[in-house]
Amino acid sequence: MRRTLTVALSGNPNAGKTTIFNAITGARQHVGNWPGVTVEKKEGTTTYNGQKIHVVDLPGTYSLTAYSLEEIIARKFIVESPPDVVIDVVDASNLERNLYLAVQLLEMGAKVVIALNMIDVAQGRGIKIDVPKLSELLGVPVVSTNGKKGIGLDELLQTAIAASDAPQDDYRKRSFIRYGAEVEEELEIIEGSLAASSVNLDGLSSRWVALKLVEGDTEITERLSAKGGLDGLFKQAEASRAHLTDIFEDTPEIILTDARYGFISGAMKRSVHLEATDRVHLSQTIDTVLTNRLLGPVILLSVLYLVYMFTFQGSEPLVKLFEAGFKSLGNLVENALPEGLFRSLLVSGVIHGVGGVLGFTPLIAFMFLAIAILEDTGYMARIAFMLDRVLRGFGLHGASMLALMVSGGLAGGCAVPGIMATRTMKEPKERLVTILVAPLMNCGAKLPVYALLIGAFFPDKKAQIMFLLTFVSWGMALLAAKVIRATVLSGPSAPFVLELPPYRVPTAKGLLIHTWERTWMYIKKAGTVILAVSIVLWAMMTFPSLSPEAAKPFDEKVATLTADFLKDPAVRQVLPSEEALGEFERFRERLTRGTEPEFGANSPLFGELALVVDSQSAGLSPESTGKKPRPEIVQAAEAYQAFRTAKSTVESEKQMAHLRNTIGGRIGIWLERVTGPLGFDWRTNVALVGGFVAKEVVVATLGTAYSLGEVDTHQSEGLSERLRHEPGWTPLLAFTLIMFVMLYNPCFTTLVVIRRESGKWRWTVFAMVYTTVFAYLVALLVHTVGSILRIGVA
Amino acid sequence: MPLPHTEKCANCPALDDENCLANQGVKLSSYRPGQKGTIFQICGDPDFRRRMMEMGFVRGTEVMVVKYAPLSDPIEFIVKGYHLTLRRDQASDILMSEPGQAA
Ligand SMILES: Nc1nc2c(ncn2[C@@H]2O[C@H](COP(=O)(O)OP(=O)(O)O)[C@@H](O)[C@H]2O)c(=O)[nH]1
Ligand SMILES: [Mg+2]
Repeated sequence: MRRTLTVALSGNPNAGKTTIFNAITGARQHVGNWPGVTVEKKEGTTTYNGQKIHVVDLPGTYSLTAYSLEEIIARKFIVESPPDVVIDVVDASNLERNLYLAVQLLEMGAKVVIALNMIDVAQGRGIKIDVPKLSELLGVPVVSTNGKKGIGLDELLQTAIAASDAPQDDYRKRSFIRYGAEVEEELEIIEGSLAASSVNLDGLSSRWVALKLVEGDTEITERLSAKGGLDGLFKQAEASRAHLTDIFEDTPEIILTDARYGFISGAMKRSVHLEATDRVHLSQTIDTVLTNRLLGPVILLSVLYLVYMFTFQGSEPLVKLFEAGFKSLGNLVENALPEGLFRSLLVSGVIHGVGGVLGFTPLIAFMFLAIAILEDTGYMARIAFMLDRVLRGFGLHGASMLALMVSGGLAGGCAVPGIMATRTMKEPKERLVTILVAPLMNCGAKLPVYALLIGAFFPDKKAQIMFLLTFVSWGMALLAAKVIRATVLSGPSAPFVLELPPYRVPTAKGLLIHTWERTWMYIKKAGTVILAVSIVLWAMMTFPSLSPEAAKPFDEKVATLTADFLKDPAVRQVLPSEEALGEFERFRERLTRGTEPEFGANSPLFGELALVVDSQSAGLSPESTGKKPRPEIVQAAEAYQAFRTAKSTVESEKQMAHLRNTIGGRIGIWLERVTGPLGFDWRTNVALVGGFVAKEVVVATLGTAYSLGEVDTHQSEGLSERLRHEPGWTPLLAFTLIMFVMLYNPCFTTLVVIRRESGKWRWTVFAMVYTTVFAYLVALLVHTVGSILRIGVA
Repeated sequence: MPLPHTEKCANCPALDDENCLANQGVKLSSYRPGQKGTIFQICGDPDFRRRMMEMGFVRGTEVMVVKYAPLSDPIEFIVKGYHLTLRRDQASDILMSEPGQAA
């Protein structure tokens, strides 16, 4: 068998690369990141006619000038690990601009095969393309494809395999654009100078290097100057640039760009025939409504609202199912294992912690699906178009829109890729501001916190509150941006160049792949970081345990209660000793678990008592069970109820004393001095400290804190139920906490990314400090105003 | 009144202070929705000029204004058969050969 071929897919954004990639590789694909950056790298393999092919989906670019991060990545890949073949996916319905990238690839000397994609769209628009002619003019194979239907892909692979066999020089010689005598003369001189210096070009075409030098390309200049001893070459390049600038009265890179488009126009004239159509494309017709001055913004808001309804209402049954699943898993483990540290670790640490986060997976998946639909239909770009004017007013930028969206502009993003998306921004100040405010957006990790608190305190207004929170988070991010841009980072704004791609009906496959990839990332995060954090936090809230001296008063109280209870004459008849009481408690436990074989068959007295106790606690009259119970049993049952209540109060107090004594409790208590005015108690504080690592940990920690505080474990309600009934918790407190969680300290991963992207610890520290201070002030305002006006305090 | 772009044209030899072509062209930002014309020159800083040209805004190319965004900015154009949006002040760096003609 032959060696594996590497094929890279390049092309303009929206040309159909990913669609073709998915069609070629099917499920045999892997999504990761390009080294050092979080731009998605998709790789996959396929076998065609016994030839194994490794396929890489490059980021979408308009050019290879190193203008944006995507361009830098695509170019680096082609230059540094040259693929055997580059398949350039061009949009046949938008051929002219798409060919600009093709021409650049050709000039690099890559073995290019052109996939003339969207051929169906082109035909629909009356664009007739003479494929053999185009192929001849460009000097490379051209294959018509329809990525959506998978048409022409076999031929594409076949052609790519054949191209990989052709000698490289053949392709180099086809570097066909002649730039006119003056330019060619200078190129020749530089190529001569390159040859004379006998520098190793690492397999790059010398014509391409010469071209880049004439264009004053910084990447290539840096690459070469690293090799040293090329001063003569650089001097020559400078002289050539100056000479050409003089002749053409403009910089060489502009002249060359112009010439490339000139070449493309020529090729188009000879191979493309446009049947006269004054027909306005469907997309434009749709836009007369969707980006209409009046209707556009209304529709935009409605779309955002729909996304919420879809995410929250749509995912509700599944979220419930997941929650129930984790709950029964917890119960299962609880019943299977003996009481002790290990069980506590598994149930309180692992299952409650991770389950609390994973339970929201369906919600996250629904949100990603909604975002994928917005992206794949092309509506996302319209959102940026309509909102740019607003954003700019806050010292941000159109590309900030994307970054903020990804960070959670639609709730459910993540600041990490969002901050990475700012790499497309060239203006350092706007980029930095975007990086700094991106963590204020409603990322997916905050959603579980919101969902928990909204579910507990605003159950009838879920979607409305979420909708409100979106506006609030935008408002906060914009406010912060405005303030930062006016103070620490003042200066003018940078350009905004945004394509509005045609509307397309997304494919189910594309949407599902997209959604799955992002959801999987969320699950992986929950499965690893959160697991570790859950265990650490569990330990923080378990150790050190209460000293025997500290526990003594509680134990003594229980002993007294028990003794008093057993002294009751009515009780004595049924439960003559402490052993009998223990026996009865175990009996009741077996009943609850359903492991008592036949109700009270072995111990009719216990059965009778348990029946009365249960009907009393259910608020039924004892007669409802059919038989009228004996009065002394009723009396004993009443005494038993009173005893249980008193005992569990003492046990709760003991648990509380224990928690307060642990490391976590002590930190939380210490923080109460600071968070007192916000109404947060020490358990909330512990949760917030956990959120420094990752926001979803807040839910996990609250879960741990409250399940540890739980005495009657087999009556475990959902966490939101717990909070609702917890004294001190009010809708106002919940909302204050939501605001605090929205704004305070970016999670650990985000901080690492801020450090890398801003290049300075200074900005990382700034991000931590300003967000937390900001969060505190806003939460204080909410809580104070709410308390004074008595909103949501009942 | 000095045009706002002249300063940014420092790197653009054709558009230095004396030979500035700005006065000979018509700003694209002056076109109304539905109007079109051909490109005469791109001003602005070198990165912007180059990016615009790479996106197909080369001399002699026809550009049509499709619409203004709800807040009148940015502006949507059709160039070489596709839709692109630019902010108003960027569009004023693109000089057209003639005033906008009805499409
Ligand atoms: N009609 C048609 N649509 C296509 C074709 N190829 C891709 N698409 C659609 O074009 C859109 C963009 O495709 P995608 O693969 O995401 O583009 P990428 O940005 O280059 O990765 C998607 O909605 C695809 O379903 C094609 O050949 N014909
Ligand atoms: Mg893609």
